[in-house]
This record gives sequence, structure tokens and C-alpha cells, in this order.
Amino acid sequence: MLGGLQPRQLLTQLLNFALVLSTAFMLWKGLSVATDSPSPIVVVLSGSMEPAFQRGDLLFLWNRGQDTQVGEIVVYNVKGKDIPIVHRVVRRYGGGDEPLQLLTKGDNNLADDTELYARGQDYLTRSTDIIGSVIGYVPFVGYVTILLSEHPWLKTVLLGLMGVMVVLQRE
Amino acid sequence: MAATKIAVYSISDLKNTTDDALPNYLTSLKFKQSHFLTDVRLALGYSAVVIAAITFYADYKLGWDKTKYWTFWAVLVYFTLNGALTFWIWGVEKGKVFAGQIDHPKVGRKSPLSIASSVAKHTPIYNITVEYSNSKGETKTLKLSSPFTRWFDVNGFFVAKPFQQWLALEIPLIGQVDPKNKDDGAKSAASANGESEVDGPVEDEKYDTPKKSTSSDAAPTSTRSRRGKRG
Repeated sequence: MLGGLQPRQLLTQLLNFALVLSTAFMLWKGLSVATDSPSPIVVVLSGSMEPAFQRGDLLFLWNRGQDTQVGEIVVYNVKGKDIPIVHRVVRRYGGGDEPLQLLTKGDNNLADDTELYARGQDYLTRSTDIIGSVIGYVPFVGYVTILLSEHPWLKTVLLGLMGVMVVLQRE
Repeated sequence: MAATKIAVYSISDLKNTTDDALPNYLTSLKFKQSHFLTDVRLALGYSAVVIAAITFYADYKLGWDKTKYWTFWAVLVYFTLNGALTFWIWGVEKGKVFAGQIDHPKVGRKSPLSIASSVAKHTPIYNITVEYSNSKGETKTLKLSSPFTRWFDVNGFFVAKPFQQWLALEIPLIGQVDPKNKDDGAKSAASANGESEVDGPVEDEKYDTPKKSTSSDAAPTSTRSRRGKRG
């Protein structure tokens, strides 16, 4: 099928495929720029915020306006760990001239998050640790990504299928 | 072009195969094809893709905080280029499948020719808009339509002759360059009109020379309004 194509046709087909991937990526980056968050959409991975959020819920984050209040649900990254955690702010220190510091706790957890933080860390620094406050969510649709991360080979299959389809299809 | 079998009920297969056959025929007549439209499309598209690739690499290597500022500009430029590409495809290319010119055999002047093709959804009729300059050097626009059955046999093979005859007969500039196909096209059109009472399904043994058109072939030579470009 690809063998009979002229070079320009081949380049055009490849371009279609590359544009699908790059547009998806740049839309994501555009959303990052707009929300000022490195990861503006996250999936809830644990049940620690039940009943507010279930495993698999998709959360939309907003990271502009750094004056986070008690009761807000934030997503943070612990230094040295890659997994973002979604928990509620239960206490705040500083603010104003001093850097704002926060203590968080999962609604469904018995204790606050001090145990989860990095060694020697008793609180989160708003400006560096937090990647956004939750401003909206869609239940369950993020479950696909949980499946994908628990079964990494699914990713390869999915990406391969996409590639083959776009290259072979001329619609 | 190698004869590949296509699904005769797939409009996009019919259109793509015909689109590919057009430049093949015209370049065989010594039309010089211009790739300007495609080259601009490729340049716009690949510039955008390169910007996305650089953004991806920088993000992967340096992380969000260090790349934040440049990511903003990259996103802006990317979508500007993407918009320009979309405009180019819809506003400038408009479904053109051939653009080129020929040293006019009689006038001794270069005559440009461009052909844009389109199909309406679920309608197996090939519509083309032809722009060419006639022997006086004036630019003429022609809108032509023909059912795909004219040059596809029942098995889904493209048959070049009737397609070339159709183009040579309907487009004066091509007719002047390729008089033989023009005359043959005129003959088969005349015989089709004479026999238009005896129409019916195309018999299998005739599929390799389907110059005898059925009456449904002869009818829609009328022009149709074009729909948006697909593909």
C-alpha cells in the first residue's frame, strides 16, 4: 500500500499522522500554559478522598491565584515521588509576605499527610509543591488511564493501532 | 500506475484512485506538474510538527518550570502555523489534485491548467473544476461531473481509456494535446447516445473495455454544485 505512493504523497500521509500526535500534545501544553500547571488534568488513583472523589475520577486543576484556603482540594507532588496526590487543605501557615505553607489530609484517611511528605518535611510549600487546586471533575472517565498505567503494554498497542490507522487511511 | 482493486462502494477509494490517475495521465501528455501547493502545505505542516517535537524534548529534559515561558510561545506559534495550514488546505488548495502547465502545441505559449476534484457524500459522482487558459490566453473555468462507473469496472479496477477520453473530450486544452482520446471519446459518446434505449446492467465480459456507456453515464454530464473538499 505505501510502496506505490509518490514521495510527496508519503510525506503528506506521514504529516497527517504527525499532526494528530503533535496537536494533541500542544493542546495539552496550551492547557498547561492557561492554567499555569504542569499537569492540568489528573486522575484520582486512590480512594483516600472518598466520598468526594472515587478512583478513576478526572480532575481539572487551576494553578493561578496562589492564596489557597483551608477546605480547598489541592494536588501536590512529593519531592522524589512521581505520583500526584489529591487531598484537602486542613491548615495553613504564613501567607502574605511569608511563603504560604499548607497541611493536607485525605477525607477518608484517619491522620493528616505528614507521613506522606518527604523525610523531614512537615508541610507543603504552596509555590513549589502544589500543582493546582481542583476546580472541576468528571467521574470515572479517567479509569482508562488507570488501566493503561497498570498494564503498560496496552499503551504500546493503542499507539501502534493509531499509527497504522492514520497512515493507511485516506479519508 | 499499478492496477489495484478497490471497493467499488467506497466513495473515498473511488475518488482517491481517480485523483491519483489524473496527474499520471496529464504528465504523460507532457504537462509539467507544479508541486507548489503541496510543498507549501508540507512546509507549514512540518514546521509545526518540528516546533511540537522541540517542545516535547525540552519538556522531557528540563521540566515544566524551566520551559514554561518558551512553551507559551511554542503553543502560540504552533497553532498559528496549524491555522495557516488549515487555511491553505481549505482556502487555497480547495481540493486541487493537479496544477501545471504545458507548452501549447498550436499557440506556442505556456498554458496553465489546474483541476480540483470533489465528491458529495454518498454520491458516486466525480466532480471536477477545471481552470485552464484557452488558445487566446483567456482563463476559462469548467465544472464537470461524471459517475465513477465510467472508468471503474464492476470488479473495482480503474480503466484508464474512458477516463482519459472523458477529460480529452470535455476539456478543450487536453483535447488539443491529446486529439486521439478526444476523437475516441466523441465516438463512444455518439454510440452511447444511439443505443441509449438498450441499457441495463453491464455484462461481465465487457468490463475491460467499458467504453459503451449506459444511459446513466450519459445523463449527468450536467454540472453540479460543489460541496466542501474531502481528503
